[in-house]
Amino acid sequence: MAIKSVFVEHPEYGVRERMYVREAVRGIAITTAHFFRNLFGKRDTSTVEMTERQGANLMNTIAYPEEKRDYPPGYRGMHRLVPREDGKPRCVACYMCATVCPAQCIYIEAGEFDAEGIEKYPTRFEIDELRCIVCGFCVEACPKDAIRMDTNTHAPAVLSRPLAVHDKESLLSGPAVSHPSDALTYGKSRNSGSHGGGH
Amino acid sequence: MSSAIAADPHSDLGHAADQHDHHGHDAHDGHAHDHAPAVEQSVAARARLTPREFLGGLALLGFILTLIAGMCLVMAAGMALIIKAFKAGGMSPADATLWGNAVGSVSLIVLVFVMVLATLLTMGERKWSAFIQDRMGPNRARFGFEKHLPGPLKDTSLWGLPHIAADVLKMLTKEEIVPDMGNKVLFHIAPALAFGPAFVLFAVIPMSPTFTFLGESITMQVAQVDQGLLYIFAIASLAVLGSSLAGWSSNNKYALLGGVRASAQMISYEVTLGMTLVGLMIIFQTLRLDTLSQLQGGYIFGVLPNWGIFYQPLAIIAYFAAASAEIKRAPFDLPEGESEIVGYFIEYSGLKFGIFMIAEFVEVVVFAGLFTVLFFGGWHLPWGEEWIAQNWGATALGFLQFLSFTTKTFIFCWLSLVVRWTFPRFRYDQVMNLGWKMLLPLSIANVVLTALVTLQWGRNGAAIFGMLQLLLVVAWVVGAFKLRRDGTETLLPAEGAASHAHHHGHDAHDAHAAAH
Repeated sequence: MAIKSVFVEHPEYGVRERMYVREAVRGIAITTAHFFRNLFGKRDTSTVEMTERQGANLMNTIAYPEEKRDYPPGYRGMHRLVPREDGKPRCVACYMCATVCPAQCIYIEAGEFDAEGIEKYPTRFEIDELRCIVCGFCVEACPKDAIRMDTNTHAPAVLSRPLAVHDKESLLSGPAVSHPSDALTYGKSRNSGSHGGGH
Repeated sequence: MSSAIAADPHSDLGHAADQHDHHGHDAHDGHAHDHAPAVEQSVAARARLTPREFLGGLALLGFILTLIAGMCLVMAAGMALIIKAFKAGGMSPADATLWGNAVGSVSLIVLVFVMVLATLLTMGERKWSAFIQDRMGPNRARFGFEKHLPGPLKDTSLWGLPHIAADVLKMLTKEEIVPDMGNKVLFHIAPALAFGPAFVLFAVIPMSPTFTFLGESITMQVAQVDQGLLYIFAIASLAVLGSSLAGWSSNNKYALLGGVRASAQMISYEVTLGMTLVGLMIIFQTLRLDTLSQLQGGYIFGVLPNWGIFYQPLAIIAYFAAASAEIKRAPFDLPEGESEIVGYFIEYSGLKFGIFMIAEFVEVVVFAGLFTVLFFGGWHLPWGEEWIAQNWGATALGFLQFLSFTTKTFIFCWLSLVVRWTFPRFRYDQVMNLGWKMLLPLSIANVVLTALVTLQWGRNGAAIFGMLQLLLVVAWVVGAFKLRRDGTETLLPAEGAASHAHHHGHDAHDAHAAAH
């Protein structure tokens, strides 16, 4: 259990080292070189670091919004309502997303739908993107894969607050999605005869 | 990526690259292939430029030279036209020359050259510091007519120049807050006291000799006073008032401390500022700045231009440091501190604050001009003046000399900016240490030695002494660093200790011996 001690040799700086003249000149050389290199040097444009990067200068500034950085996969961005084959949103107005949302930014009004297994649809579906904390709970809570945050863009900037409340029509986007579990019930109206399920 | 930054984390990323996805690291690899193994790079490799960059740099310099030439042309023509106007108005030719020069120099030199250069420097500082730091700098402000510009100029950022207008408008329209309990009179005049001396200093700086332009005899110097250098010292001392009064009248303890810091720093370096120039006075035996410039024509031993730098190299370093400290700039900007510490202008808003900032840049221009006049021959061209006078005439020579002054001033403004963005800020005790314990003894020694040498061997002897100084200092400094076998350089403890034993007595040596 002996304590190990290490004796660190510090170089003793005399006057001539402490004058830092040589380091000073070197430093000026580095900054001057950076100056001229950034003014006229060309970046190796074959490596793709970010989309739509214009210009080939060596500076690291991304001229947003002309140049943007790609968001990583799995990025939680702007919401979208997923459509069914007939173009209506997959949402059945079950209020799961509205209930779980910590910021209470989803407002839903339900309406009746005839088809068995669906029963309801949202007459109003509004998300206030300014309240949204981008947690993704609504996506996790939805039983029908009706809401996703995979648009890979952030909520767009608005010039006034009411413009940030997106309604059903503006949220509905993307290719139609249908899951195997839909086939059991979709297309069958409650009033028409029901035949045993199975596919 | 700045390779200076990529150097260190590259070694970590090299390991992580196996586990994480590669797309974030491709750019690093792309750059790293240009250099040696990242961590072991020597600085010399990083500082090298490609030929394309070098030529581009030359092109940029040529462009700037053209712009400066344009400004000089405007100034010289303006002066000549004012004199012609006075003559046309009925003044006698002698009077017209006198008054035309006076009016023209005040309006054109001071108001146009100094102010335009200072204003452009505010933007230049932001852009050039950005280029040094691998970023773009301000380029988003637009005047509104850019979309109507032709061809390649359409929708450009105009190199960030609209930002100057944006800054000025912002400062003009901000609310002027005056502290309630402070000294209101002093509060209002402090910016003027900071700004005035900076401006007024330029009055004695000779920008050109008396030459004939467009038929009129013009001298680009506001006032030819017999005691030019003493005037410089006196006015530089006045500049302390601005910051002290600003700190005092703000009724704010932190501002007061900032003002005291600024004052202490400035008065510490004023003595050095004066002392470094005494050597020049001894050698050239004049206080008049225009005579000083004139005497720096010709050659030392027929080869080197007769410039102050070859007589007083140590004085140059001390002067540059003292001047930077005097204008509270470069590594000596602790009083204003920016993000670190409360400065003396914390209570100022709007245009008063703008005046403090502009005063700083005007001082940069003024001290660059002084530097040129004192140590770099003022308006003299380094070589070839007789040839130009013979082949192109006296007017061309005069104009080229004017141009050389403005170019040299511009270069030293740029140097001041680069020095600011290269070195970290000095701590306050380091500032005081440097001023009193290092630069002042150095400048006094310089004065004594210069006096002895000049007395004994005259000006030529002083020239030889100056060049010897330069060689000795360079050799001494360079000798401290040893080259390792792999080509990198360092200060090694072993070699350092060995040389210290020779240079600093046996104390360190004995301490080491006792430890072993």
